[in-house]
Amino acid sequence: MLAPAAAVFAVLFVAPFAFLFVVSFWRVKTFKLRPDFTFDNYADTFTKYLEPLVFTMAIGFAIATLTTALAFAFAYVIRFKAGRHGNALLVVTLVTLFGGYLVKIYAWKTILGTEGILNSALLALGLVREPLTIFIYNPGAVVVTLTHFLLPLAVLPIYGSLRGVRDITLEAARDLGARPARVFLDVVLPQCLPGVTAAFAFCFLIAAGDYVTPRYVGGPYTSMIGNFIEGQFSLKFDWPSGAAMAFTMLGACLACVAVSRALLGLARPR
Amino acid sequence: MAADAKRPDGGRTPLVQLRGLTKSFGPVVAVRPLDLDIYAGDFFALLGPSGCGKTTLLRMIGGFTEPSGGTIAIDGVDVTRLGPEKRPTNMVFQGYGLFPHMTVRQNIGYGLRLARVAVAERAGRVERIMDLVRIAELAERRPDALSGGQAQRVALARALVMEPRVLLLDEPLAALDLKLRKQMQEELRRIHRQIGGTFVFVTHDQGEAMGLANRIAVMEAGSCVQEGGPEEIYRQPKTRFVSSFIGEANVLAGERRAGVVTLGAGAGFAEAGADGTVSVVVRPEDVRLDPGADAEIRLDGRLEDVVFLGPYTRYRVVLDSGEEVVVHAGDAAGQAVGERVAVGWRRDRQRLVQGS
Ligand SMILES: Nc1ncnc2c1ncn2[C@@H]1O[C@H](COP(=O)(O)OP(=O)(O)OP(=O)(O)O)[C@@H](O)[C@H]1O
Ligand SMILES: [Mg+2]
Repeated sequence: MLAPAAAVFAVLFVAPFAFLFVVSFWRVKTFKLRPDFTFDNYADTFTKYLEPLVFTMAIGFAIATLTTALAFAFAYVIRFKAGRHGNALLVVTLVTLFGGYLVKIYAWKTILGTEGILNSALLALGLVREPLTIFIYNPGAVVVTLTHFLLPLAVLPIYGSLRGVRDITLEAARDLGARPARVFLDVVLPQCLPGVTAAFAFCFLIAAGDYVTPRYVGGPYTSMIGNFIEGQFSLKFDWPSGAAMAFTMLGACLACVAVSRALLGLARPR
Repeated sequence: MAADAKRPDGGRTPLVQLRGLTKSFGPVVAVRPLDLDIYAGDFFALLGPSGCGKTTLLRMIGGFTEPSGGTIAIDGVDVTRLGPEKRPTNMVFQGYGLFPHMTVRQNIGYGLRLARVAVAERAGRVERIMDLVRIAELAERRPDALSGGQAQRVALARALVMEPRVLLLDEPLAALDLKLRKQMQEELRRIHRQIGGTFVFVTHDQGEAMGLANRIAVMEAGSCVQEGGPEEIYRQPKTRFVSSFIGEANVLAGERRAGVVTLGAGAGFAEAGADGTVSVVVRPEDVRLDPGADAEIRLDGRLEDVVFLGPYTRYRVVLDSGEEVVVHAGDAAGQAVGERVAVGWRRDRQRLVQGS
């Protein structure tokens, strides 16, 4: 039973990954890959691309935090406050997933753009005389767009873990003298920590790895590391550099997630 | 049977006073307006069939369900509008409700932590209560690594450690197998003796109520139909429902005319009261086969079935009226199945209840 699964896993996940990892130590000469064993690509990544790398981690962190917080609030309402309307809310959340990724990006372009809905409304209301340009082509627009895209994906694991929290444990906590805030901190949060962590890590990895959203709504000064990696692979045909940057980003992401996890873990009771 | 069947009050005010307490869920009336007094030191059972409103009543006392009407006073203080965190009660939930992310020790210590009991004192009290309910060796386990009986003890310890004025238990032993249930009943009795608190527990098992409680309230369809000591409820059931719910009972239909009761099965006797249909209730152990001269009531029938049950033998007799009478007798007499037999009992052993 295990062997076929292991084979599929190896072919689909391990092999391409391993290949890229090996390539990240190679060089390119006259547009041809040359096997080698050099750390130059990694050194280059840190010298030339440190700034976008740090920026990417920061914006990824912001997006993941914002999305996880919103998703938690949403999932919490569905689980504890909405009663029998909860399922309808959940379906609505999931249906927005069908819209797809690019559709959401264009939707936000139409909302935030200079001729967009937001500006039209402001103009119509007479609040501004000229369209504002502060809404789009900046990191804020990237945060808004990605948060909107990731929200349903983050709601799912959190809702899943909140469903595992039995009402009776909340009643027991109140019975022992816990006020609502304490019930939340001591009983709800620790029980759904795995779901929250999963949602956060998921959002962080997707946000930090994204290069489409910044290109469409981020403007010329919001380039994330993904945009540079894409450039290495497609424009410059420098696979080794691209691979080294990708693995550096992966390492940085995992480090960020690990740190966040540890911070969340402090919420556990002693 | 609990040793103390008498009322332990002696004119004191009740610890828990329920007045006109009622609860409706939409059109469903779960608890009808109900008055109940529970005294300090009571081991009080709320007994009734499934769906009669026991849990709803207990949850109202604990503060988990808001009453639709009426008041709850504990220690003379009206707590009707207070949440569970502000009441001097603690609850042992039917599903235990242990915190899955905490160890047994953390579960038990949680309430004391909230109450800001100093660390050293907290540790001591948790240790003592774990010894009392015999779970000391489980202290570092998580709830998912406990058996049903162990989880039950942890839930009990977690509530007991708070030293509540009133401990509420919702079918605390329902999930346990027979052997464990008997064992836990004994432990509950021992713990109640040892710490001397006030326990209120819900059960649909009359044997459990009789075995544990010194006071029992029998509930039927949201109302409390009778309240009293176990023996009183067993010996003097007020309604046919109570008599058949508590232990086995023979119920025979009859008719009263001008102070004379005539049973459908034949016998008659004088007893004053309103005219109409009545039922005579008599316990199987009070009925004799081939009764002696002291049995005022005598009926004839045919022996239908004999089952030897160890301490006693169970005889099933079908009377000439078609009604059945069950007899529990210690000494197996010589009658064979199919023979004609007489059954009888003393007047003071039967109860007459109005209606059928
Ligand atoms: N939250 C609720 N919403 C609607 N009806 C309810 C609710 N809780 C209880 N009821 C109804 O109230 C009645 C009494 O319920 P309750 O749980 O108190 O019964 P119970 O005596 O504890 O029964 P059991 O022995 O089966 O636990 C039942 O008819 C039940 O269907
Ligand atoms: Mg119940």
